[in-house]
Amino acid sequence: MSTEAITMPRPSAAPVRSVPDLPDPALVRAYADLPVFRSRPDVLVLGNPYVRPIGAETLADVDWARPVSGADALGWHALAAHRLLVNIYESESVILPKEGLSVAGDFDAFYGPEQRRLRDLVRPGLERYAYGFLDSAVEVSGRWTLDALVAHFTECVTEAGAAENVVMRTIEAARTPRAAAATYLIQLALDGLTEASAMARNLAGAYGPEQSELFKIFIDEFGYGVYQSKHSTIFEKLMRSCGLHTDIHAYWHFYLTGSLALINYFNYLTEDHTKFFRYCGAVTYMEWIFAQGFAEAGETLKKVYGPDADTHYTDEHAHIDQHHGRMTFENLLQGLAKRHGERVVPELVRGIEEIRLLLRLADEEFIGQLRWVDTLDQHRAAGARAVAGPDPGSGRAVELTAASPFSTRTYDEDRVLVVTDGAVDLHACGEGEPHRIDAGGALLVPAGRLHGVRPVTGRAALRVLRPEQPAR
Amino acid sequence: MTATPLRAVRLDLAEHNTVLAGDDRYFVFHSPEGTALVLDRCPHRGGPLSLGAVEPGHRRLICPWHRSRVSCAVLRRRAVPAVRTGRRMVAYLPAAAPAHVTRRRVLANDPPDPEARRPLFDSTALEVWT
Repeated sequence: MSTEAITMPRPSAAPVRSVPDLPDPALVRAYADLPVFRSRPDVLVLGNPYVRPIGAETLADVDWARPVSGADALGWHALAAHRLLVNIYESESVILPKEGLSVAGDFDAFYGPEQRRLRDLVRPGLERYAYGFLDSAVEVSGRWTLDALVAHFTECVTEAGAAENVVMRTIEAARTPRAAAATYLIQLALDGLTEASAMARNLAGAYGPEQSELFKIFIDEFGYGVYQSKHSTIFEKLMRSCGLHTDIHAYWHFYLTGSLALINYFNYLTEDHTKFFRYCGAVTYMEWIFAQGFAEAGETLKKVYGPDADTHYTDEHAHIDQHHGRMTFENLLQGLAKRHGERVVPELVRGIEEIRLLLRLADEEFIGQLRWVDTLDQHRAAGARAVAGPDPGSGRAVELTAASPFSTRTYDEDRVLVVTDGAVDLHACGEGEPHRIDAGGALLVPAGRLHGVRPVTGRAALRVLRPEQPAR
Repeated sequence: MTATPLRAVRLDLAEHNTVLAGDDRYFVFHSPEGTALVLDRCPHRGGPLSLGAVEPGHRRLICPWHRSRVSCAVLRRRAVPAVRTGRRMVAYLPAAAPAHVTRRRVLANDPPDPEARRPLFDSTALEVWT
């Protein structure tokens, strides 16, 4: 991850900004220890939309007193915070299993009073923990006018339109393009299966013609009340045609931190109506760039999966988001600036800028993950070299059985996994064959790379080492 | 698309602190409230504010020509519309004049000068934009 883009040395005269009211670790642990959030052995989470394993035990090395910063915006502690936030936000929307409520106990736990009590206690602190860094990473200054807003938006979308779509090029060039494309679709599924739920929070109230403009976009997203046209329904068709599961959060363990940060961002903004204008800036930028982005994604999916890929979803966005981009830009963004004056323009600009930053971080992380998955053989060799010396580094032993909870994580520094007994399957993207490592094998896991391991047979043992020297 | 054509000017704040646009000069001004691109011209007689000194507390910037005191808050309010992400800043200036970015000595970003509050001559200590 590039930190250059989001950190800037401050002059010595500038005061240190303090971040008050961080999450209470005991409450966070209690929330993560709710029955539906406890760890389980399953790699995929199927048939139960309420199960979102976090596992209080996996949070042991998260320092809740050290909020996410511009230098580690997608670090392990950010991933942990964003997993919690997804559950917090989604517990405020209605999600039912399509096959009927056979998991009523989990329904009760997910929406029940203890979840709500803890959710309301931990959410403000978690939001400050995960997004407080944006206050200093992005700074809007000077006297912003409507003309400057229009000029800035035009500059941003022109730049985005002219840029090569590195994400799609990376998928097409991957060693296993299907696994790479599946990784992309899995990231989309985080939001695609509940699409526009955050937008729904900003529909109520009374704010003039701009409200009606947002509502028109919302009814497009919801297929004008026709279930088969609802965007989440056509997204399911896309997933199914590519051989992927359509259960909500089936791929819970494989959402990358940047994807979570992007989707949570819209809930973060819509939970707090003081951030309404920021939301409108961010949603306008996204709606504008979606048209081109989804047109390119559709082409890539056709190349990778062939003609059987049902790209109705990407085609629909490539078309309708041309309208949504224009509608939000002309009637929402400019409409709000004209109606409420220049005092709201800095917040509109901040929304544009914050979402651009989060998008950039998410793209960098996604590409990094794909490149690592593509070069696991080289990383095995690098891992073996790292532990071949006289001092292989400190580490901790991990014993795994078939009943051990499965979870994925990242590290903020390189780690080497050394299998000391049995064999393990490394899961790094949710689809495709896992990468098997037998006893004696090692693998370098660079900082920030998402992974989880399962024993191949009944039991396995490994050591997680921190290499003394850079292994790459 | 815009009524007043504007030009995006990009600065890498590790490299640039000044924008030259036609006859106007702007400098990047750091204060506890943040970073802004401000016109390098004292409202009194056009002195170079970038070569001024800030008072302790960063309330006012003292122009080097006549020791006129310019409110830092007003400077920020009247600054060029700009957005900074990390060390990258994009600012919007009238498109009529070509603009280029450079680096110059900016004394206004030095630590506050304890002597700055003391005027050379009381009669010339002017309060402008307070």
